[in-house]
Amino acid sequence: MCVWCDQFAAGYERWYFNPANYARRLYKIRKEAAEALGAEANPQEAGGMAILGREFLEARERNDYEAMERMKREAEQVSWGTHFGQVITLDEALKVTDIIYPISLMTCACRRSMVGLPDEENFTCMGMGPGMYKWERWPDTYRGGVHFLTPDEAKEALTKLNKRGLVQTIATFGTPYLAGLCNCDYPDCGFIRTVLDFGVRVLWRGHYVAKVDPELCNGCANCVARCQFRALSFAPTRNKAYIDEFQCFGCGLCATECDQEAITLVERASLPSLANVW
Amino acid sequence: MLATITVDDEKCNDPLSCRKCLLICPTHVLGLGTDVGPQKFRETDPSHFILRGVRFDKCTGCMDCVEVCPQNAIQVSF
Repeated sequence: MCVWCDQFAAGYERWYFNPANYARRLYKIRKEAAEALGAEANPQEAGGMAILGREFLEARERNDYEAMERMKREAEQVSWGTHFGQVITLDEALKVTDIIYPISLMTCACRRSMVGLPDEENFTCMGMGPGMYKWERWPDTYRGGVHFLTPDEAKEALTKLNKRGLVQTIATFGTPYLAGLCNCDYPDCGFIRTVLDFGVRVLWRGHYVAKVDPELCNGCANCVARCQFRALSFAPTRNKAYIDEFQCFGCGLCATECDQEAITLVERASLPSLANVW
Repeated sequence: MLATITVDDEKCNDPLSCRKCLLICPTHVLGLGTDVGPQKFRETDPSHFILRGVRFDKCTGCMDCVEVCPQNAIQVSF
């Protein structure tokens, strides 16, 4: 069971299909809640810089597992209360565009921090909800401006970003308030980088797991470059795509690229060994 | 072994528009931030952007960033 659905779905199929989570709290209340957790509640603080500092890497160097676990747990607690993400499929992202308005295309804070990407090349991030109307309050985050999209334009933009190879993720800003619809890749997305490199769960796996049908896979390998989570490889022995389902985040990027429809998304909850792997 | 990366902020005065080191680093070790934090209602002056080593575990010690820096502002040691 997804603990976020457990707490915040309120009868909807997923917690991010519950409209209340897009309008749940006004800014001021969220700010107080976030500050109570010891974090400054502003959108930039959650940008692309590493969530864990050098002391974590030093603990890892000296195999100090206890210190690592402590720092990891602390980072996760702060993240889960303020700003964390979950992988969603393109279909789910399209559905979200019918729940919340406005949705706007904006520049990605992670990529600005990671590679200093110029604004004109950096329109990969989407902000949702009333916060977008006052985004100019944070001029550095507002760099490049904010483009408001109709639900149809948002669907078109998400489809293009998915085609380009970016993973759709949904992010909280003061949990469970959902306000980020990000399009991420390794290594320049802070979420993906942190979860893959450090095993710190600031990004949760999605509700699906991708599965290859070996009968249908023709070995074209078009899917291989799509995986951002090191879960998919090409197995020359059988001339087929191979997915490590325990490593899969369920984004479906491999499936959307497969001409043979050889990759399907299976409900995580339907697989006993994966139902609790998030 | 973890790299130590030091940046002379006096020399590195506008990393956001230069970003040569950010682009050349093969493992994306470096990060860009500001020394004044996020500011409400104010755009951060370029001189307040700072470059830092962040993901030290991925630094191979290739020295590409040191060599590409037009200001000789970056030092990497082990």
